[in-house]
Amino acid sequence: MKTFLRNFLTVLLGITAVAASARLHVVATTPDLGAIAAAIGGDDLDLTVLAKPTEDPHFVDAKPSYLVKLNRADALIEGGAELEAGWLAPLLEGARNPRLERGKPGRIIAAEGIALLEVPAVLDRSQGDIHASGNPHFLTDPVNAGIVAAHIARALGELDAKSAPEFQANLKKFETELQARLAGWQRQLAPYAGRPVVTYHNYWIYFGRRFQLPMDLFLEPKPGIPPTPAHLAGVITKMRADHLRLIAVQPYQNRKTAETVAGHTDAVVLDWPSFPGGPGTESYFAWMDYLVTTTAKAFAAQP
Amino acid sequence: MLETFQIMQWPLLACLLLPGLLVYLGLHIVEREIIFVDLSLAQVAALGTCLGILMHYEADSWESYALSLGFTLVGAGIFTFTRTKSHRVPQEALIGIVYVVTAALGILLLSRSPEGNEELRRTLIGEVLLVTPAQVLRTFGLFVAIGLVHWFFRAKFLAISFDPDGATARGMSIHWWDFAFYAMFGWVVTSFVQIGGVLLVFSFLIVPAVCANFLAEKLRSRLLIGWVTATVASVAGLYASYAIDLPTGAAIVCALGLALLGTIAATSFRRGSVL
Repeated sequence: MKTFLRNFLTVLLGITAVAASARLHVVATTPDLGAIAAAIGGDDLDLTVLAKPTEDPHFVDAKPSYLVKLNRADALIEGGAELEAGWLAPLLEGARNPRLERGKPGRIIAAEGIALLEVPAVLDRSQGDIHASGNPHFLTDPVNAGIVAAHIARALGELDAKSAPEFQANLKKFETELQARLAGWQRQLAPYAGRPVVTYHNYWIYFGRRFQLPMDLFLEPKPGIPPTPAHLAGVITKMRADHLRLIAVQPYQNRKTAETVAGHTDAVVLDWPSFPGGPGTESYFAWMDYLVTTTAKAFAAQP
Repeated sequence: MLETFQIMQWPLLACLLLPGLLVYLGLHIVEREIIFVDLSLAQVAALGTCLGILMHYEADSWESYALSLGFTLVGAGIFTFTRTKSHRVPQEALIGIVYVVTAALGILLLSRSPEGNEELRRTLIGEVLLVTPAQVLRTFGLFVAIGLVHWFFRAKFLAISFDPDGATARGMSIHWWDFAFYAMFGWVVTSFVQIGGVLLVFSFLIVPAVCANFLAEKLRSRLLIGWVTATVASVAGLYASYAIDLPTGAAIVCALGLALLGTIAATSFRRGSVL
């Protein structure tokens, strides 16, 4: 009886150990990376996302639980291009996880393989808080999401060879759905090509390029600096001159600034979530769909 | 040019209409020598707003305002009953502690909320540039009402700040009038913090009053000097904010600082000056 129990427990423990280690512990820095990782890895991943969907991704508050998650992680997916430069490095130092060092297979940097826009020729503080390697918000372009998904599928497959075929299968599904939906989104926004949208921060440039919506008027005078009266006056003048009627703000930005400007220009303020993860926008596709649909509706409602 | 005027018109009105009451209350505060009570009360009010955010009320909803006010009243109660005569435990120490602890509590509360951080930063710096006409008029209405209360009961309120010993000797209930003073004061601070932020409310309260104290003895003269200082500095700050492209609230605070420097320079050459 004792022998039987001992053997039974050993087998049981063995099974649970295998089952536990079968799940890859993955940490993603931002929710868009998390959404794509979830689409690729599904239940084979024990996924944690550090930044909240409503948080400013440039400045994420470190919490003690992040250190634990990073310490136990098999893989870290970060945006790169210095998006997380303000907060990730100290967390990684504290986590002391050799699997996540640069160059190791567990360190997945999404920006590798993306052609970045707005790489600055001159780099100094006179331009405000500028992104030195180029604009890091590349996942606002669905085509880049496909590139990042393939990168993640490959990298995770290297870490977990047994699940690699499944990751590739999910990747295929993701890419197929992406192609289909992209065609639909482009159809939705095609009638409004060339119509500019005013945004708070220079976050949406890749989205703008994909759907031909110029975005070069910002409520922030320089990235990271709060708006001043002269700058807002300039924005209002330009909006009136060019008949711009759409202002888009993200959850962590000051909606009051947008409302003030909208009040002086008869414009409409749109709420554009920075990331998937909110109610109704849990997956990457749902999020992009929401952005495209509300924008198309807002344009349609204008004279 | 037209756009600039359109943007600046309500901030200008706010700075012309609202600091009047703040200057008067500032004279009380400076007399009581508890300068940081306004920072503390502003922080306590902000804690109420943080709780409101956590409970998913919009920052400018009436529920959020009511929470702020509720917390301010509790703060007023604390300050009333900690007005000690003992110098071993100066009241200023307790005020400072309330400030720090409520600030930390605010951070703890907001760490649980999705949009927390940004609201906290905005309470400090304020958004006088983005003030709405409704806010200005509502707050002005409130200030007029409180100003009238202070006018009708001016004997009592002036006594407890400027002559507390005499007041006690005459049998006034200091605690009750103190609480009334702090409660209304807290209400004023809470309302203005939503427009100008903590830095600006502190500056309007203290700097004109200090300038006035340098230059005059009589209360009436001090009031006048305070009002003139506040008005001139506001206009200068607003103008600098437009001309040199500076954030508005901070520009006004610096203009007030310059006004104080000017006052000190002017009085240090006078005989019999305070310095």
